[in-house]
Amino acid sequence: MDLSLTESQEMLKASARELVEREFSKDNLVKKDTNGGFQPSDWKKIADLGWAGLLIPDEFGGEGGSLTDAAVIFHELGRGPVPGPHFSSAVLGTLTVLEGATPEQKMSLLPRLAVGATVVLAPAITESDYGWSASQIQMKAAKRNGSYTLNGAKLFVQDAIGATHILCAARLGSGKIGLFIVDAKTPGVSLRPLPGFTTGVGEVRFDRVIIHESNLLGEGREDGWTILERTLQKAIPILCAYQVGGSEKVFEMSLEYANTRVQFGMVIGRFQRVQDHVIEQVNQLDAARWATYEALWKLDTGQPAAASVHMAKALASEAYYQVCNAAHEVHAGLGIMREYGLYLHTKMSRTLYHYLGDPKFHKRRLTNALEAQGVI
Amino acid sequence: MDFELKFTPELEGFRKKVQDWLKANIPDGMENPADPVDLTLEGYNKQRALGRKMAELGWLYPTYPKEYGGGGLSDDEAIIIETELDRYDQLLPPYYDSGGKLAAATIMVWGTDEQKRAFLPPILTGKVRSWQLLTEPDAGSDLANVKTTAIRDGDHYVVNGQKIFVGSAHGAEWSWMIANTSPNGKRHENLSWFVLPMDLPGVTWTHMDLIFAGNESGALSGYKNTVYLENVRIPAFNLVGGENNGWKVAGTHLELEHGLMQGSLNGDRTLQKVFKVCRDLKREGRHLLEHDDVREELADLYIDSELTRLLHLRNYWMRSAKKPMTYEGPQAYLHMKRAALRTSKSLHKILGPYALTLDKERGLEDGHIEVQQRGGIVAQHPGGTVEIQKVIIARRLGIGRAVKEQAGVLR
Repeated sequence: MDLSLTESQEMLKASARELVEREFSKDNLVKKDTNGGFQPSDWKKIADLGWAGLLIPDEFGGEGGSLTDAAVIFHELGRGPVPGPHFSSAVLGTLTVLEGATPEQKMSLLPRLAVGATVVLAPAITESDYGWSASQIQMKAAKRNGSYTLNGAKLFVQDAIGATHILCAARLGSGKIGLFIVDAKTPGVSLRPLPGFTTGVGEVRFDRVIIHESNLLGEGREDGWTILERTLQKAIPILCAYQVGGSEKVFEMSLEYANTRVQFGMVIGRFQRVQDHVIEQVNQLDAARWATYEALWKLDTGQPAAASVHMAKALASEAYYQVCNAAHEVHAGLGIMREYGLYLHTKMSRTLYHYLGDPKFHKRRLTNALEAQGVI
Repeated sequence: MDFELKFTPELEGFRKKVQDWLKANIPDGMENPADPVDLTLEGYNKQRALGRKMAELGWLYPTYPKEYGGGGLSDDEAIIIETELDRYDQLLPPYYDSGGKLAAATIMVWGTDEQKRAFLPPILTGKVRSWQLLTEPDAGSDLANVKTTAIRDGDHYVVNGQKIFVGSAHGAEWSWMIANTSPNGKRHENLSWFVLPMDLPGVTWTHMDLIFAGNESGALSGYKNTVYLENVRIPAFNLVGGENNGWKVAGTHLELEHGLMQGSLNGDRTLQKVFKVCRDLKREGRHLLEHDDVREELADLYIDSELTRLLHLRNYWMRSAKKPMTYEGPQAYLHMKRAALRTSKSLHKILGPYALTLDKERGLEDGHIEVQQRGGIVAQHPGGTVEIQKVIIARRLGIGRAVKEQAGVLR
């Protein structure tokens, strides 16, 4: 047993932390947030370090890293919190392509995904009947003469704005689900951000969008949902690591503030009511942290991991949300001032709470998985 | 990262040896006791006999030096012995010996060589078992407020006072006691620790009528006593750690109590019993497992139990990798205390009135489910309440003050 990072992971962690502190400081992120959000040039800074291709095997121009390697970086990005398509494109999108694409599709997509700048993928799954089960995919893809016509709307798509391609789940004529790689510039595709107390979500509309059948992932494959479910098992713990990183940073901010803010003639950290909030933070953080890294270890070593993955997402979503709540209790008025930056974490914690399934959803899945593994 | 506790082939060989030995030597009735409520004197004597036999192999207090009657074994070997005993629902030592565990660890740090030679062998070889005499009517969370006095008189201390929530059933040979040795002294500078032979004149005890049961069940005995101390003359030699230095000694001592590795690495057997009941029992015509609300509760129960395992695994790793530890011990303890009450409520929600009966015919899983309803409440105070755990965590994190590391780690 060894719960420490490897030497190379420590190096990844150090360079990720350095990047976040240099390029994505709190002040920078607040400025970006008020000036139209994450820019492609920001994404390039991350991609230039090779991290867009971290999970892509060397034969396709990537780094061939493990899931834990990726999680180490996402943990640090979460401390920003650095928004942008690193998760959507470099993790969820990339792993889906690796899982389901034909060799030709891989050759065409992966090298471009690996450099980051030329293909940016945004998975579009949920619709107006919101949910993360297959039954909620209602958008139709009608086949005619070697092409599919896509009609409908995908809602709450993470990082759609700025994506070059959309990975779209739709119902085929058979009623099964196919995954389409849709160039965002295809006629009939329109993107718009969904504004509010959220980060990076958009709506993608498909108005009689005609897609050649070679863009169906796996060409002719009708098991798109299976591909996606398998991919999600690997991708979700990396998202959890991002939530853990965010929780860690917010905990540190709160501890520091409790030790510097003076009221009633003493630092507020002397008050047990305030201490309770900080203790709640560290408890939530550690629960999410160890559940997440254990799930990653199981995946990287080829063990059955479904129960661990669902537990990790339930805990990490809850942790990030509650850690931010506690931070607002500690920071009071300061916490709602934009320039202080706490709100960036808070709205990210809200956005990711339900992304790829909220705690309730994953707890249901957890019981199912325990049953399937013969634990129950 | 690697979350698997892996042992060398030599250690796995040792495990096999322990397994075989336990199989041959665990007395009848000690194997996963069906009725956790009562242990007869006969059963208790079997536990003690098993302890002495284990001591001959160095397995009773495995990590203590051989010269004092310990096993001279490694932490890994100790973990293996503990894990294997746990399969029989037995702890190490296989009888209630909280006073012995804490006294031995403290004496190792604070005792003189003479005291080590005198006190350690009887504890470590299982010749005596000890209770701890800490809590008093006016000193619970505020241990420094103990009113029991121990006044020097020649070669002895004369002890007067009352201790509550002490021990288990069936008596003890010794106790490990904190008392006030300077009634007019400053707080925290007036305390001392003693090894108290329980057969000294003036020591008496009566049973406290509590809601819990399990009179000798390992560290979790629910059978407690009030101990009365009336002009008890303890030899001055039995004072450990220096007169009026007891609060510093307590730092070592309480660290150990708070940091005890109480989580089993074998998985949560209560939870396995609950799963079984949910497969078998019906509500409103359907098996419990077919109800959505039950399935949600099961997920929560599983998560709490997994977090207990993960936090203990982390603490074990930090300790063996010699990482500096601060808040981790009390954090795991706090989690367990909170999870205990959540578990009680979950079981109640899932099983309704079945969770509350111990009836031989209608009760579930030989009473284990009902016992948890009481055990969850009882678990709130030993080793410090939830609030006390939070006070310690706050100090260790340095909230509103400088970070304080834990006291020296002891084995």
